[in-house]
Amino acid sequence: MKAVISGTGIISAAGFNLEQNLGSLKVGKRNAGPVSVFSTILPYPVFEVKSLPGISGKEEMRTRSLTFAALKEALENAGLQAPLTGFRAGVCLGTTVASQLNDISFYTEFRKSGSADLKPVDLFLKGNLAESVACSLNASGPAITVVNACSSGTDAIGMALSWLKSGLCDIAIAGGADELNRVPLCGFGSLGILSGSLCAPFDKNRAGLNLGEGAGILILEREDFYIKRGGKPSLYLSGYGSYADAYHLTAPRPDGTGLESAIRKALSDAGVLPEDVCFVNAHGTGTLDNDRVEGAVLERIFGSKIKFLSTKGYTGHTLGGAGGIEAVYTAAALKEGWIPANAGFECRDNEIPITPVTENTGIKGSFALSTSLAFGGNNSAIVIEKRR
Amino acid sequence: MEESKEQYLAETRKLLKELLVENLSLEDIRPEDIKDDEILFGEGLGLDSLDAVEIVVLLQRNFGLEVKDMKQGREIFYSIDTLARYVCENKKTI
Amino acid sequence: MFISGIGIVFTRGRGIDSFEKALKEGWREPSAGELVPAYRVDQETLTDASLSKKIRRADRFSKMAVLSAVDAYRDSGITVNERNKIGIILATAFGPHSTTFSFIDDILDYGDASVSPTKFSNSVHNAAASYVSSILESRGPTITLTHFKFAFQNALILADSWISEGRCDHVLCGCTEELGTVMEYACNMKLNIAKDGKINPFAFSDSPVSVPGEGSVFIMLSKEKGGNNYGKVAEVSFSQNIAGNPDLFVIDADGMNGDETGYKEIINHGAAIAGYSPLFGSIPTGSAFNFAAAALMLKNQIAYNCVFQDNPFVVKLGVLTSKKDLNEIYCIKICKPEIKTIVKLKK
Repeated sequence: MKAVISGTGIISAAGFNLEQNLGSLKVGKRNAGPVSVFSTILPYPVFEVKSLPGISGKEEMRTRSLTFAALKEALENAGLQAPLTGFRAGVCLGTTVASQLNDISFYTEFRKSGSADLKPVDLFLKGNLAESVACSLNASGPAITVVNACSSGTDAIGMALSWLKSGLCDIAIAGGADELNRVPLCGFGSLGILSGSLCAPFDKNRAGLNLGEGAGILILEREDFYIKRGGKPSLYLSGYGSYADAYHLTAPRPDGTGLESAIRKALSDAGVLPEDVCFVNAHGTGTLDNDRVEGAVLERIFGSKIKFLSTKGYTGHTLGGAGGIEAVYTAAALKEGWIPANAGFECRDNEIPITPVTENTGIKGSFALSTSLAFGGNNSAIVIEKRR
Repeated sequence: MEESKEQYLAETRKLLKELLVENLSLEDIRPEDIKDDEILFGEGLGLDSLDAVEIVVLLQRNFGLEVKDMKQGREIFYSIDTLARYVCENKKTI
Repeated sequence: MFISGIGIVFTRGRGIDSFEKALKEGWREPSAGELVPAYRVDQETLTDASLSKKIRRADRFSKMAVLSAVDAYRDSGITVNERNKIGIILATAFGPHSTTFSFIDDILDYGDASVSPTKFSNSVHNAAASYVSSILESRGPTITLTHFKFAFQNALILADSWISEGRCDHVLCGCTEELGTVMEYACNMKLNIAKDGKINPFAFSDSPVSVPGEGSVFIMLSKEKGGNNYGKVAEVSFSQNIAGNPDLFVIDADGMNGDETGYKEIINHGAAIAGYSPLFGSIPTGSAFNFAAAALMLKNQIAYNCVFQDNPFVVKLGVLTSKKDLNEIYCIKICKPEIKTIVKLKK
């Protein structure tokens, strides 16, 4: 069973909504710079959402605000209005930061005196991303937050597809979100995989990833339900695959067999062959390992002529948000008929058998793939389909 | 002078063995059982890429040393001995 | 889905046998703490010479997950040759929060540029599942979920999808929670801690008492009947109606989620009621432990004594561990306002 994508919503450093995002991608605008949402001595550039509209500072977690911004657009796009009372609506969202109680001022106070103002804890307890979105929408279906590191968003979308298939709900709000936060910035820095300059996915001289923040949401519906409420389906979530590397806590399996299995499963789920795929939105973080492994796998499955790109040159690596954001970009690209250049790529790496698109490129075709490779070794892929 | 340089190197090796066992949670190994020329990665101690970046932090915190380039790191981290020599030659007085 | 194996790490040790022993023996006092009494997992329980090299870097949270997952697999006695047909779902309310705070210690003590990458790697929620998958060499889908109240129930629903969609033949489905100084502080401030160390599952109070606990349970769920054959999961639902005729209800009342007056409606159904949180503590994913108890009861055809007889509503309780004809057990969790989950287990 394929699910209709009835609406999409997105917020990232590239823009507050899809139109703004596509505008930035079209002209190759990369809104990166030093982080301003918190203080740090670390000099790495990040992709921050500047002047986030509607954020009320300490009253609510930033990830939640990003999520609601994208959700608003997605619901409007789908012709739905909050609350969703009366609909059997599920919420499945991926994140990393929002699931952690990592408030540094709270902990600083606690470790000094053995006690601290519990307001950050209260905020945290109200802040399970999917739970709080479901609550605000009065959504009466299942709600769960996926915390699968970099593949969280894609896995959340895959999980929502399962829910719709099994009839647990008729609508599912699926995707992911994450905010820029000092803890992962320090963490990724310590792993030596942050670049001191703008990331260059698949480039010979790539030096690591840039962190980013944002949210990407798909509104998914059972086709019969969507048609019944007057919708004319054109975009579909057609397949999902997920396999683990079982290799290492931080490094991907060098032979890429986990990713290969995930992609092949997504394709078979969708009932398509590699030659039917007109482009791939790759995970493409800009790290040495990821891009080398992923590039080899894409060539192995799709051949050397496959059009592919990473959009992380425009958004940074938004961790839990990546799968959601990239699903939105993939759907938009199919709909609009073009993919942007792979920002940051200049020079071919001889260890990677294929090169990404280097300019805005028209695409014709019905099927596209989006991939995610997670910290901890999970690999996930989704197939999105456009029908005339 | 030569003697004290050798002694310093020996002390550094000993300290490094202790730091590695503790910081990398090498639970079944005692520092004194690690050979001076023990290879750190692959064979020998069997450390991996995550241990490598942990050693970078260990060098920073204990000796004030920065390893900026992991390619350079590969040579320095070859064995206990190469690591100790690097520390002795570059250690900053904290 | 068939329950083919169970693994558990909790305050009274490791392994389904130690859990069964605890069910037979009854209540034991929690360990005292600086702030709260709690059912903590001993450091010795987390030592395993055969796995020590592979989990040398793992934190407590990951160790609990690994040991219980490996045990569940071994308990099943099944050797899965196609490794990409084993999936892993780890569900948690709070994840490895102790490690997050330890990482923040590094930030505060050493600065942003001198923090431990191992601590960071362990502090991400899905690290534990990654260790499990590496050690078991399981290559199927591997996911970590978080929900404050219904993590386990959602995990069961996902496991069912994976099996019925043919993504997996077996799913190791588990829950892990840890205690730490910050968590114990938060529990002390926010929960009604039982001063006598006794949780009261059948008081059905609007302000129930609790004793924090930690631990991990993994259930091996299989497409086909086999393994250690505990029974099957017939249904998992979020439903307003508890319809059906189980032989026993097992309830998740443990003081962790506030108002427990909602459980009163079960009294009218007539079947006996049980709840085992006094043995393992108040854990947000305590449902997994009660599920394990239910599975054991179905396998052994024994109803275990309920550890507390405080029974102001004169609920029908098992008062003695005894042989009983058990075909169907319902595991129920009710959180106000009115969210009910019903997990139906059949022989």
